[in-house]
Formats: sequence, C-alpha cells, structure tokens
Amino acid sequence: MDKLIEQLQHNLSQVVGFIYPNEIELHWGILVVVYPYITGLVAGAFILASLERVFNVKEIMPTYRLALLTALSFLIVAPLPLLLHLGHPERSFEIMITPHLQSAMAMFGFVYIWYLMMVLVLEIWFEYREDLGRWARSGKGWKKYLHYLLTLGSLDHSEKSLRFDHKAVTFITIVGIPSAFLLHGYVGFIFGSIKANPWWSSVLMPIVFLFSAIVSGIALMILVYGLSTLIRGKSIDMACMNKLASYLLYVLIIDLSLETLDFIHRVYESVESINIMGQLISQKLFISLIVVQLLLGTLAPISLLVLSKFLRLPDELKRLLFFLSAILVQIGIFSTRWNVVIGGQLFSKSLRGLTNYKMELLGLEGLLIAIGLLVLPFIILTVMVKILPPWKDQKPAVS
Amino acid sequence: MDIIRKIWNALPFPDQTKRLLIIFVFFITGWLVVRHHLVPPTFGQRGYYRAAAVDSIAALPISFVGQSQCVECHVDEGAVKTASYHRDVSCEVCHGPGAKHLDDPSANSLLPAKERTLCTVCHSYTASKPTGFPQIEPLTHNPADPCIKCHNPHDPKPPTTPSACGACHGEIARTKSVSHHASLECTFCHQTQELHKISPRAAIPGKPANRDFCGGCHSRSADSPKEIPRVDMDSHGDGHLCWQCHYPHYPEAL
Repeated sequence: MDKLIEQLQHNLSQVVGFIYPNEIELHWGILVVVYPYITGLVAGAFILASLERVFNVKEIMPTYRLALLTALSFLIVAPLPLLLHLGHPERSFEIMITPHLQSAMAMFGFVYIWYLMMVLVLEIWFEYREDLGRWARSGKGWKKYLHYLLTLGSLDHSEKSLRFDHKAVTFITIVGIPSAFLLHGYVGFIFGSIKANPWWSSVLMPIVFLFSAIVSGIALMILVYGLSTLIRGKSIDMACMNKLASYLLYVLIIDLSLETLDFIHRVYESVESINIMGQLISQKLFISLIVVQLLLGTLAPISLLVLSKFLRLPDELKRLLFFLSAILVQIGIFSTRWNVVIGGQLFSKSLRGLTNYKMELLGLEGLLIAIGLLVLPFIILTVMVKILPPWKDQKPAVS
Repeated sequence: MDIIRKIWNALPFPDQTKRLLIIFVFFITGWLVVRHHLVPPTFGQRGYYRAAAVDSIAALPISFVGQSQCVECHVDEGAVKTASYHRDVSCEVCHGPGAKHLDDPSANSLLPAKERTLCTVCHSYTASKPTGFPQIEPLTHNPADPCIKCHNPHDPKPPTTPSACGACHGEIARTKSVSHHASLECTFCHQTQELHKISPRAAIPGKPANRDFCGGCHSRSADSPKEIPRVDMDSHGDGHLCWQCHYPHYPEAL
C-alpha cells in the first residue's frame, strides 16, 4: 500500500494541468507497446516472404523460408504480452467459444487463429512437405520421428503432388497478403476506432500501422538473414541484401509520407484537441517522437540507405550501413508503438492536462518481462531453424 | 480397413489435403465439443451474457430494504429527515443494512450511528468536494466529541449560524489568508445575503460581473496604493472577466 501511495505521489508530481483521477496512472504499459510491435514484425516478415512467391522477386529467395519461420516465431509470442497484461490467462479461451462479432477486441482470437493456422502454418507445411519427407526417410534419432510426425504421414513426392504443393503455397500466399494486412491493420483499427481519444482516433491509423509493420518486418529480415548467415560462416548474398535495403527504403518513404499526411491533416483540422497534442509532442513525447522516431528511426536510416544506394561503396561498408539502418528502424518502430500506446494515455480526456508514465523494471508488466518477450521469438526461431532448416545451400539432417 | 482405404482413395483431393482435412475436422469438432460443454445454456438468450445470471443475482440474500420501509415505523425521524439536508441520505447509510431488523426488530438492533468516522466519510475535508459542501478537519474540529453531541444527524443544521465564511469555505479562507488579497473581506467581492448562512443554496453569493470591479484597484487610473499591480484595462485580457484568468483568492498564482 505504501509503495502504491509512493508511486501515486511520484505520478502526481509529474501531472501538469487538470486531469481526471483515473488518468493519473496509465492502464496500458510497456506490454501493450510490445504487442503491436511484435504483430508488426510478423506481418512485415510475411509480406516480405510473399514478395518472392507472388511477385516473383528472385533476389530475395534466400530469405523466403527464414522469413516464414521468423513470422511464425513472432506470431507464437504475439498474444503473450496481452495475456500477461490482462492477467487470468485461463479465461482467454472464452473469446474463442463465445465469439462476439461486434467487438473488434473480442475478434482477436479469430484473426490470430486464421493467420496462424490458415496462413503461416499451412504455408510452411506445404513449403517444407517435400523436405520433411526426405528428412523423415534419411534422418537419424528423434528428429527423424519428429519430421515424420510433421509430414502427417504424407510421403507422396510424385511430380504431380509436388506441383500441387507449389500451387498451394502460391494460393496461400495470395490469401496471406490480405490476411497479414488484416492482422496488423486490425491492431491499428483497435486504436484508430477509439473515438474518445483524439491521438488514436484516425482512419489513417490502420494504414500507418501496416506500413510501419512492413518497414519493421523488412528491417528484421535484414538483421536475421545477415546475422544467421554470419553465424553459419557463409557469405551474405549481396543481391539479396541490396534488394531488401531498396524495399526498406521505399516502404520507409511511404511510411514517412503517411505519417506526415496524418500530422498535416491533424494540424489543418485543428480541432479542439490540437493544443494538448502540441503540448504532448513538445513536452512528453519530444525524445521518443521527434528525436527517436523521426530523426533516429526514420530520417537517419533513409539517409543511410540513400547513401548506400547511390554511392559506390564496398560491400562490407554497405552491409554495415544496412545493419545500422535496420537497427535504427527497429528502435524507431518500437518508438512509434510507444508513442501511440503510451502517448495516447498521457493526456487527459479533459484536454487540459498531462500525466506521466513510470515504467516498472521488475513485476509482471515491467521492462524485464518486455525484454524477455522480445528475446523469446529468437529462441523459438533458433529451435525452429534446427528442426526446419531454411537454408537451400545445405541439406542438414540428410546423411 | 479396406473400406476406409477405398473411401480415402475415392476422395477427389490430393493425399496431403486429405490429411490436413482430418486435422481441421479434428480441430473444428473439438471446438464445437468444447463450446457445447463450456458455454452456459442460457448464454445469448437476452444479449451477450448468461441470461441465468439475472436469476442468480436475484436469488442473493437481501441485506438492504430501503428508506421507505424504515419510515413506516420510524415516522417521526422520517418526517424530520425528509425536510433536512440529509433527505437524500438513506437511513441504512448510517445505520447499516436493515433486512434482519425488519424481520425481527427486537432481536436485531441496528447501529446507533454515533461514531465520528461515519460522519467523516462524507464530511472530512477533501479538495475535490464541491464548494459549499460542509467539510471539517476531523483532527481540529472538536476531536474528542462524537458529532451527534452538537449535530442532529436527522436534521444536520449547524448548531449555531456560522459567523465567518471560513466555517464552510475553509480551504478558500486558508488560501486567501496567505495571498495578497488577505486583507479583503469575502463580502468585498461577493455580495452575500444573510439567508446564505442558514440556507446556502437558496441564496448563492454573487461574483464580480464586470472588469471595472477589479479595475477599481488595478487599473492605471485607480485611486489605490501604488504597490498594487496595475494593468491597462483597455488592452489587457482581451475582454475577458479578470477571474477567468486570475484566481482572486490567490492572485499571485498567475
């Protein structure tokens, strides 16, 4: 109790202007920031994978399977921040057995299951079926049985059967693109449809979320592909890296344009909330929005990518610039989520005051848990890569 | 087994989709079975909730009976209270739930409501309470005595008519006492009828309704001590009343 009062006193000392009593402490903390960040990475990685399959971009072929596995690893972790934040995870199944079609939040389970089961798992299964069968036949130890189990006993590798697999993957990818848009657009929709909050309520929100998702997904794949190749001691395919960097640059520019459009639109409309929004940006979110999101997370990587694209630089330097841009983009997109989720709760609904967010370090909704949730997908990815090697240049588990 | 194999082979899909189909049928059947067993039968009958929840709540034991039941026996107290400031405070707020007392009044007495802590739930000082709501500081307001020694809770008029504004408006009086306006009487700015002291809401005090009132001391041409801050009344404040920007009980705040 004393600790709570101490925290309340600290928060009260940070309050500026007039706010309602239930606005002093934020209800959505860092875990709710992590959630859209992770789903964004899922959607972005999947959309990148689908470029190869649907639009036949051959250069990025080396990242195709890796992107699918990355998307799956992150998707498995995506609901965890919500479950941790809400508490009582044992109740979460209720949204599945009593679907509420008029509540966007209650439909999360179905959006999630659709994307997990009907898109990602299915696409990975068809993509790997041939390899799984081969590994099941010629592998050793427990992996052999696991691979056999994963084939579901389907060991037909006739040309007709494989052709069907290929068609199925293409079909699922085509369905998957709108599904990925649905998944992350949905997250943006949840925020964009909150009428009472002028910082969130915008029809552009799902679209801005989506493009920032693609940005973060591509940047993630630059990092995952680059680092995994280095760890394996192989050489990085520069054509692939160049293509990824080009896509990152184009989508970053679209993302920046959309965010600028949203900003100009708000300033031009100048509804009654504009003053408090101005204070929010210039006081509470100055570092995370102007410095980190805009300068470090958007303009800096755009400049670095433009430099590496138009200057004749050695490959090593280019790779370094790509990695640096990708890391900056990740920091920037995390700030974007932070600015949306936390920023939207820092001002009073009276539009006359601002509060403060004090993040916990320990505790169920603290920084350490958030870091754990961001590391967990990489552990899952490592396990998945062991079971389902995505590399085309070697055939592990085949003796 | 042969029959199953024949049916399996006769299905017009590729082998792998048949296997996937089994998995999907398994999951969807599982979902339907779980739904059948876990969704309460009355769920959704009247809306997105378990309709039987209404009956469950209605079946809970009743604790409170409501004021109308109390005044059937306690006619005198009811008549006094109905005409007093406490008319909207139900009897059971102070005396506790009365259902058992209603069943058997002699065996189940209610709380006599003598504790100071009961009254201070509403009447201890909190800044967010509306102006004019009677508030006291329990540590300094006759701390040793029960409230009912001086106040009749069924008709809680102050035992004596307050002589100073600070008796009810303590926070404002304390704030003003340390401000530059400390020497001004409240009635200098607020025209107040005597009636306000015994029936505050029936006669609400006035506020300065024009800029000239403050200008009497603060305009450039005012005949007042030279230490008092001056403004050009024609250009300052954009036509707003002074107290719309300045807090007169603590004018140095802005």
